[in-house]
Amino acid sequence: MLPADLREKLERTIETADHPRELAVDVMMALQEHYGHLSDEAVAEAAQLLDMSEVEIDELATFYTFIYREPVGRYVIHVCDSLICWMDGYEKLRDHLARKLNIAMGGTTDDGLFTLLPVCCVGYCDRSPAMLVNRRVHGNLTPEKVDAILDGLRESARSADETSSG
Amino acid sequence: MMSATPKKEYPQVLLANRHPDRIATLEEYRSSGGYRALADTLGAGPQDSLKETIAAAVLLGRGGAAFPAGVKLKTVADDAPFPRFLICNADEMEPGTFKDRVLIHADPHQLIEGMALTAYMASAEKGIIFIRPEYESAARILEREVGIAREAGYLGENILDSGFSFDIDVHRSGGRYICGEVTAQINALMGKRPNPAQPPPYPTEKGLWGLPTVVNNVETLCCVPHILRNGADWFQSLALTESGAGTKLYGVSGRVNRPGCFELPIGIPLSEIIEDYAGGMRDGRRFKACLPGGASTGFLPVEHYHIAMDFDSLKSVGNRLGTAAIMVFDETDCLVAATWNLLEFFARESCGWCTPCREGFPYLRDLLWRIENGQGEPEMIGALRELCRDMSYAYCAFSPGGIAPVESLLDLYEEEIVAHIEGKGCPFRKRS
Amino acid sequence: MPTLTIDNRRIEVPEGTKVIEAAEALGIMIPRFCYHRALGSVGACRVCAVKIVDGTRKGVQMSCMLDVEEGMVVSTDDPEAVAMRRHVIEWLMLHHPHDCPVCDEGGHCLLQDMTVSGGHGLRRYLGNKRTHLDQYLGPRIQHEMNRCIQCYRCVRYYREFSGYRDLGVTGIGNRVYFGREREGTLENPFSGNLIDICPTGVFTDKPARYFGRRWDLQRGPSVCIHCSLGCSVTVGARYREVARVEARYAKAVNGHFICDRGRWGFPYTNEASRPRAARVDGEATTVGEACAAARNRLLHVAETAGSEAVACLGSERAGLETLKAVAGICRANGWADPLFWLERRARENVAAAVSLLGDDLVLSLRELEAADCVLVFGADPLGEAPMAALALRQARRQGAPVFVFDPRPVELPLDFHHVPLAIEDLPECIRSLVGAAGDRETARGADPTVRSFTDQLAEPSVPPPPEAVAALRTSRRPAVVCGTDVTDAAAIGLAADFAALMKAQGRRAGLFYLMPGANGFGAALAGTEAASLEELLPRIEGGEIRALVAVEADPLGLYPDRGRIEAAMRKLDLLVVLDYLDTDSAAAADVFLPSTTVFETGGTWINQEGRIQIVRGAHRGGIPVSQTGGGGHPPRVFMEEVPGGQAAASGQTLTRLSPAEVKGASEWVRLPPDTDKQSGTRAVLPDPSALRFAPERTALSGAAGDEAMLTVIAVDRTFGTEVLSSRSPWLSAEETAPTVWMHPEEAGRVPLSDGDLLEIDAGGGSLVLPVKIVENMARRTLVIPRHRDAAWQRLGATRLRIERDCIRKAQPVGENAPVKESPPR
Ligand SMILES: Cc1cc2nc3c(=O)[nH]c(=O)nc-3n(C[C@H](O)[C@H](O)[C@H](O)COP(=O)(O)O)c2cc1C
Ligand code: SF4
Ligand code: SF4
Ligand code: SF4
Ligand code: FES
Ligand code: FES
Repeated sequence: MLPADLREKLERTIETADHPRELAVDVMMALQEHYGHLSDEAVAEAAQLLDMSEVEIDELATFYTFIYREPVGRYVIHVCDSLICWMDGYEKLRDHLARKLNIAMGGTTDDGLFTLLPVCCVGYCDRSPAMLVNRRVHGNLTPEKVDAILDGLRESARSADETSSG
Repeated sequence: MMSATPKKEYPQVLLANRHPDRIATLEEYRSSGGYRALADTLGAGPQDSLKETIAAAVLLGRGGAAFPAGVKLKTVADDAPFPRFLICNADEMEPGTFKDRVLIHADPHQLIEGMALTAYMASAEKGIIFIRPEYESAARILEREVGIAREAGYLGENILDSGFSFDIDVHRSGGRYICGEVTAQINALMGKRPNPAQPPPYPTEKGLWGLPTVVNNVETLCCVPHILRNGADWFQSLALTESGAGTKLYGVSGRVNRPGCFELPIGIPLSEIIEDYAGGMRDGRRFKACLPGGASTGFLPVEHYHIAMDFDSLKSVGNRLGTAAIMVFDETDCLVAATWNLLEFFARESCGWCTPCREGFPYLRDLLWRIENGQGEPEMIGALRELCRDMSYAYCAFSPGGIAPVESLLDLYEEEIVAHIEGKGCPFRKRS
Repeated sequence: MPTLTIDNRRIEVPEGTKVIEAAEALGIMIPRFCYHRALGSVGACRVCAVKIVDGTRKGVQMSCMLDVEEGMVVSTDDPEAVAMRRHVIEWLMLHHPHDCPVCDEGGHCLLQDMTVSGGHGLRRYLGNKRTHLDQYLGPRIQHEMNRCIQCYRCVRYYREFSGYRDLGVTGIGNRVYFGREREGTLENPFSGNLIDICPTGVFTDKPARYFGRRWDLQRGPSVCIHCSLGCSVTVGARYREVARVEARYAKAVNGHFICDRGRWGFPYTNEASRPRAARVDGEATTVGEACAAARNRLLHVAETAGSEAVACLGSERAGLETLKAVAGICRANGWADPLFWLERRARENVAAAVSLLGDDLVLSLRELEAADCVLVFGADPLGEAPMAALALRQARRQGAPVFVFDPRPVELPLDFHHVPLAIEDLPECIRSLVGAAGDRETARGADPTVRSFTDQLAEPSVPPPPEAVAALRTSRRPAVVCGTDVTDAAAIGLAADFAALMKAQGRRAGLFYLMPGANGFGAALAGTEAASLEELLPRIEGGEIRALVAVEADPLGLYPDRGRIEAAMRKLDLLVVLDYLDTDSAAAADVFLPSTTVFETGGTWINQEGRIQIVRGAHRGGIPVSQTGGGGHPPRVFMEEVPGGQAAASGQTLTRLSPAEVKGASEWVRLPPDTDKQSGTRAVLPDPSALRFAPERTALSGAAGDEAMLTVIAVDRTFGTEVLSSRSPWLSAEETAPTVWMHPEEAGRVPLSDGDLLEIDAGGGSLVLPVKIVENMARRTLVIPRHRDAAWQRLGATRLRIERDCIRKAQPVGENAPVKESPPR
């Protein structure tokens, strides 16, 4: 169930729009933020909020790269595999991540923290190889830098959990 | 191939306020002459003469298609219905391209002013910046600075008491290359599947919600205030070649020492960009080829190392300036493999609307993968050529763009393909 | 009109024609997948490539996307264009499963045709095939996604053309998927068209699956008889069984499509329970014997009680030959006047509509699509004539506002204005709109009745809805649609006056009536002097009428007062029934004679716009082989005659059993000399002047305002009420559950909440139904579907007024508890 405040917030935004469906991507992103991924329930919520049918929502959801229709980890790591990053060691970077996280491309770690996915050129070719973590870019990557990023993410997940449970 | 002459200084226009680690503030932009064009033109003269100035400046669209911005503005008929829209295309998903990101991070108010002026010329009252989701930081900057501009009276109701109203929304895409194509972008903004829609009707006639809509690239829009402030002749004089006009942001990546985005005149020699600005070739290797304008342009071979980087010169050698994203290869790079990588991109990003592109790119990718990995057969070269020929009859410009590197590979590096096939594998990999 | 050259042949075509259409006009069929005449061009498949030798855009171009130009030169067989088209086929076959041998589309598959004719025989692509899982889409449509060639026709038809939203295209690139969000029956009552429109075997007719290739079927052009529109269909039969019905293109009527009622309504013709043998006093016998028995007994009744003691009843579902034979047998024998209607209101309504539907006003279904403003009076298009709803959608898509004035909770696949007024207020409402549309001045050119009527338009008591008035003011092509089922003759007359008035104003106004049955129009014409059973009933009850011949009519099953009709039937000395259905009346018959269906002997039907449509049989009929096969063993008895082949067309049988000589049934139908028998259809309006029925135009204003009274209407629904299609096992899941619809205000007064049981004490007894509370309907109105499980025959009439205290909340026990499940057929 969508929390009442989020629903209200979305309803308010939708009310101001001339055409509710123009907010489809924003609404899907907001629901994804809440549910972790765009679950079937979220698709139904989006459809209801935007006065669209569920398949009309899914037509959009399944088109875009950054809408996840399957469960993903807390941190979604998209590794750039387009030309410049690929020339600059994408495969090594991918293998390093896969080894460190013990998952293959497309997989999610057992602890639900990380999902590993490829992505097309993210527009940081001047800092190749690059990857995104929850849509934040990290460039000029080296194995050491990747390790530090992963450690940092684990750390922030831990402290966030502690504050929320404590 | 080091150039003998020392590095020249060229005027910085679009990146004049660039700082290494922060954006230019409203104050900085203003003190560099920013928003003066807006104050001077809004409500002052007829919009037609402003459009004339843009046309006379021969500002060619910087989003890749090089369509003259002045002509586009003029296609919005005087009696076209209202409201009208201006969309800033900040999708920038062409591989190798990152200039719009640099521009937004350097000087967001330049874009805001450019949009306000362009909207004024088109009598548009609503502006939308369509931005790729990977540029979240840029999207946040824009949202904040749009607010600041509004507060300062440069956006919103009755801008600078001119009676003209215009405001800007930032729209984050869900992320797909095709969303950068104008008609697909309009569909995306309407909450439809972002398949392109072949004109007619043109967006300037029936675009967003069936209303007149002007779509321009970030860099194109950023040029507008400068042209209106300094005149068409000034803009033309910035270029080094006769037919060119203005400066250009060149994004250099690949086998160079200092990849980056450089504002340089239109028409500057490629060699000068690589050597004087991008720090020359990496590890002492030799320039083999580059893609001069993103993934949708053909390989530019070493013979053209000194070519003037402008629209006409590249056209004359069968290539395109595209987004001026220069992706550089050296002699150790296998162009078969590089092309395969690009095809992976195009196969993944094809919107799936038309047959040649939807089925052709995976087909091309499969063939090149086989050639690269020792499963090549001589007849595959013919198959590649046929595929390229018929994929040019696709529905939108995606497919013709995507086959450009393949066609140039076939035209210029056929012996490299043959070497793969005959040697049952990649000669470059064996050597290393 | 530009002239262009295609393959060295010149043709002149209207501006805006696409090259692919110009070529077609020359008989050159350029391959196409995504292009479809009804859906237009979208340029997706790229298989229609041609070479433009001369024109603004030269080179290989898509002929479906290119407008013709003066002087254009086109080559369809240019090597570059041919190579491109071959390549497209190769691409489309990359992931195709090559399962033609087990695919039901095989034999009429566009992809198969193109692959063979394009010469693509060898696979070059070495990569893997992409594979999809299929979805369960309900009992009627089979889904096989791997056969998809991504032409996008299905979603374009489903969403844009027909206006339903539960089918879509998901994914991107070469992984696009055409289906529903999740498995389940498609919600679109026009979903069957997916089968016809998909150029390959993704959507196939599930009940007809694996029954036979198209060339195995005995196929023939036919007309749908499940409502008054008379859509064109193609019937396919095999092994004495009708296997499938497809849409057949009819320019003026249904275009390319039909509704699901029309597509899957046919199983009545195959039913195992279909009475195939003649019966006398319950004993099976030959048709000859039964005819003789009927003749003798009829003669006996006439001799003993007078010829006027015999009555003959036809119905609006029978063909014109049968109806004319009914009229003829009555005349030849001096029997009572022929009957074609059960209720007087139905007879008068249709007579009114037929006599008012002038040649100058009548609209075809196609013309209705071109209207720029549509006013619908007392009609539920989806329920009464489904394809009319699709036509309204096309009008709406072109920008026409649609207004529906009807008490029911009308639903349509388009956005429209619904004015849920009480049915009694309808005449006054039309009057008010006529007043708003014009005055006497503008009515100058109109019919005298219209003129005099316009004079009386003083002050209507119901103010017209302002949006409708505004829309009417600017409309150039207004259309008036009027139902004849729940309305009365006053509304029907006013609707015609309204259209005539707007015509007189110089607009291209038109009139479109919906009628009961497939041949209501024919019934009105055939029986100019006819009465209805309702009007005759006192004479049966009084013992004057002693024998009844019911021809393709079921008084027991359909007369709205079951108790009364049962008693009346008991009073008869003789009941003769001719039918192809096992109706209640057939079961009660003293003499029963089996007749044939439209699929076997065809017939002539006149649709609601007066279009005569001649249908020939598609197969000879008889008991399907699947029923005579005797189970698991091979046949042990061989005979020359067709099992169940005794049935004959009712009209023929009537002439056989008539004591007096009746002229051949065919002579009763005089076709206009230029009727095109080949295509089976021709647009003519038979001269209705023989039938001058001038309805009273006075409005019953104020009647609806009576707080003490309620109006009950028993109505037609898309599925489950029409006599023939409601026997289809493939449509039963879509039937509207027998409920009574009420406005919340009305329900609150009882009080009732959704799902509660309501008892109605009406003229014919009491009935109990669950309540469905809906906002978008009239107050002081109860709406009940004429569903076999709704016990609506206890109402006493299909439209009636009852005292408010005739309804009360009921407890969910007792013998009146509604039957939820329909009995298996
Ligand atoms: C597949 C495809 C992707 C495109 N992506 C972009 C893009 O990301 N940004 C952009 O400005 N133009 C892009 N374009 C070009 C636009 O269609 C359009 O020409 C441009 O935005 C117009 O602006 P301009 O005239 O200012 O260049 C793309 C075109 C195609 C065919
Ligand atoms: S070429 Fe066709 S499939 Fe490719 S992106 Fe354009 S419309 Fe989509
Ligand atoms: S399912 Fe049929 S109609 Fe739909 S896209 Fe595929 S081939 Fe075309
Ligand atoms: S609309 Fe009527 S005639 Fe047409 S297919 Fe449906 S039931 Fe048959
Ligand atoms: S190729 Fe990786 S960011 Fe551009
Ligand atoms: S029929 Fe023309 S592109 Fe499909």
